[in-house]
Amino acid sequence: MDLREEKVGGVSVVEVKGRIDSNTAPALGERLIANLEAAKVRVLLDLSRLEYISSAGFRILLLAAKRADETESRLVLCGVAGKVRQLFDLGGFLDLFTIVGSREEGIAAAG
Amino acid sequence: MSITEITIANRGSELLRAADCLDRLGAERNLAPEMVADMHVALDEILTNIIKYAYTDNAEHKIRICLRVIDNVLEAVIEDDGAPFDPLAIRAPDVSAPLNKRRVGGIGIHFVRNLMDEVTYERAGEHNRLVLRKRIGV
Repeated sequence: MDLREEKVGGVSVVEVKGRIDSNTAPALGERLIANLEAAKVRVLLDLSRLEYISSAGFRILLLAAKRADETESRLVLCGVAGKVRQLFDLGGFLDLFTIVGSREEGIAAAG
Repeated sequence: MSITEITIANRGSELLRAADCLDRLGAERNLAPEMVADMHVALDEILTNIIKYAYTDNAEHKIRICLRVIDNVLEAVIEDDGAPFDPLAIRAPDVSAPLNKRRVGGIGIHFVRNLMDEVTYERAGEHNRLVLRKRIGV
């Protein structure tokens, strides 16, 4: 898994490339929690280059969403497609997150 | 009939070896990537569970994985010598619960049950034996 992060306007855009499984999920968790530490921050998680996610990854996303709620921050996901989207659907996660199509839409939604 | 077998140690870093083995079988038998992807998820969830929860000691253990294509079915047999554990006995999570009530426990097994056509568990002597089956071309 590779993580790339950039600031676009006031939004932290975190792009995940590769696999989120039990080996790599903790690193993603640390990054997201670090981003959501302050109150009222805006984070866009770009999953368009994500190849694979397991339940360990969903656990981290769920924790991040809960943290965002607590800190009145906004966490938006984009690029949820294909097999990854099927698992979001199967696990009932599509309704739990704000999910948009493209990164541009995500920055607009988060900002 | 293609059959491939691999034994991994109970460490997270070993998971990719099992995944590679599945990829090789998929390529060799020209299996649809969608179906191989489903088996990847199931295999990963089951092996991760075993590595995390099956052992009460700190010793190295062997987990045996046998993958094959037989009668139009992609099958994975996973055997470990951990504590008796039937993943099918886990209660299904409520996937419609709102965020504040949502629990992540059980989601992995929920994926396995839904992505596979058949899952069976048996305790055979000192071993857990789990069989995952996915029909080809369905």
